[in-house]
Amino acid sequence: MMVQNRSKGFARQAAIAGIGETAYMRGTDQSILQMVLAASMAAIKDAGLTPKDVDAVLPPPGFVAWDEIAAHLGIPDVRYTACPQMGGASSTAALTTAAMAITMGVAEVVLIPIGWNGYSALRPRPDARPNKRRFSAAFFEVVKNYYAPYGLRSAPWWYSLYLQRYVKQYDVPPEAAGAIALACRKHAQLNPSAMMHGRPLTMDEYLASPFVTEPLRKHDCCVETDCAAAVIVTSAERARDLPHVPVTILGGAEGHPNRPDELINRADVLDLGLELAAPRAFGMAGVKPQDMHFLQVYDCFTYVVLLELEALGFAERGGAAEFVKDGNIELGGKYPLNTHGGLMSQGHCWGMNHIVEATRQLRHEAGPAQVQGCELGLVTGYGDLGDGSIAILARNG
Amino acid sequence: MSEANKAPSKAATPDGAPPPGGTPHVLVPRPDELDVEFYRATVAAGRLCIQRCSACGTWTHPARYYCPECSSPDFTFPPASGRAKVYSWTVSHFSVEPSWKAHLPYVTIVAELEEGPRIVASARGIAPDAVALGMPIRIVSETKSPDFAVFWAEPDSQP
Repeated sequence: MMVQNRSKGFARQAAIAGIGETAYMRGTDQSILQMVLAASMAAIKDAGLTPKDVDAVLPPPGFVAWDEIAAHLGIPDVRYTACPQMGGASSTAALTTAAMAITMGVAEVVLIPIGWNGYSALRPRPDARPNKRRFSAAFFEVVKNYYAPYGLRSAPWWYSLYLQRYVKQYDVPPEAAGAIALACRKHAQLNPSAMMHGRPLTMDEYLASPFVTEPLRKHDCCVETDCAAAVIVTSAERARDLPHVPVTILGGAEGHPNRPDELINRADVLDLGLELAAPRAFGMAGVKPQDMHFLQVYDCFTYVVLLELEALGFAERGGAAEFVKDGNIELGGKYPLNTHGGLMSQGHCWGMNHIVEATRQLRHEAGPAQVQGCELGLVTGYGDLGDGSIAILARNG
Repeated sequence: MSEANKAPSKAATPDGAPPPGGTPHVLVPRPDELDVEFYRATVAAGRLCIQRCSACGTWTHPARYYCPECSSPDFTFPPASGRAKVYSWTVSHFSVEPSWKAHLPYVTIVAELEEGPRIVASARGIAPDAVALGMPIRIVSETKSPDFAVFWAEPDSQP
């Protein structure tokens, strides 16, 4: 185990003050830029601010750039910009990056948007609107030269290479992954914006769903989505003067497996970056995993969530199957997971939707999915073959 | 092991060999940097070659400009023994790629080489039901271009 970082870092210095999101869609005529701008403007307004108040933009790791976002929104003075290149771990990593910039006094109102045409542009449709700029990541070189030629076309095929080892080494039953899929789907039934709203799922249906590539069944994979979401982060002090209850960033961290640009040559392929990040984040926040009232865990694939729960410290390696049993991760259970439906059932918004949902929960504005009286929760990110990020959030902390 | 985790016993052929219908590996990348050096060494030798540190002897894949153990920038690409064990694998039951659709379900193996590094290889002569962690295999290369080869994993019956 890594040495715990006990420095205060950026603990309690910054807070989420605004959230915005588009609809979660299968097909749209909007460009990525349009969706990202719409979500950004919604977040700025939700914070009770205007674009002229924004002084930093942390863009997503592809598709759209900070300067066009600033130009279209009319942000006159961008004092700081940075872009964590971590795929699905980028949103939460940007949240901690914003907290650092605010703690250092480099910026005061930080916009973090993300969005994509994950359904429309990545499908070979004749009328698809192509992406002007691709998602950018070095691991695509490794994929191109060593994985893709073997019929391993995209994320489910790459990740299956190590998830099958997890299943076989620890005898992980499919019902454990099914528990993740079912919790997300159950929570999506409470969320009219979720793509799987009105489409409940049973364990029998989950187990009967066809394999894409073992161990991943169709229902182990998240949904392809057109969407965007954004948050506004500001100083804890300024957040107190804004319309909503501040959602304070107690702590956070990122972590990366060695080596970060490929998947199968790590000492143990099951080592996630989150395993390194989690103790750093909990140390900074001064809380324990068991203190959490909800968990918004990056869920590109169900089995990845099981590994993340272990990396967070809720179970030993190979032991998450016990943790997710008996409704423990469903609303009403001890650790409600992905109360909006997650990437699995609300939509794939690169985990920004997890941050939006964590904020709603801690504002006590989560509607029928509200975790009653919640004060503390976490969000995680996972991406680019294992990068990890985590933020620990508190109501008015 | 739960029943539901077992692959359906729908092997392409009884012995697990790819069915007729041409080679599935139609994607031939054009590597650059050290990746093309790796593949050119392999093509020249007609067998898998792996980067080896000239200073400390560490084998590394994919190749790196500095040895991850000792930071030396000096290396060669000598032939590997080809002996390996199954470290992980997947059985693909779905594909959108025409060349692979003809071969469903296909087995792709993460092979842990005797020298240490792991590589991806397509299974040949190994049925989906027969794969297991630690199973001895041999890695065979098939040249696809002057700059690229694919690797097959075959059962290794020799002790």
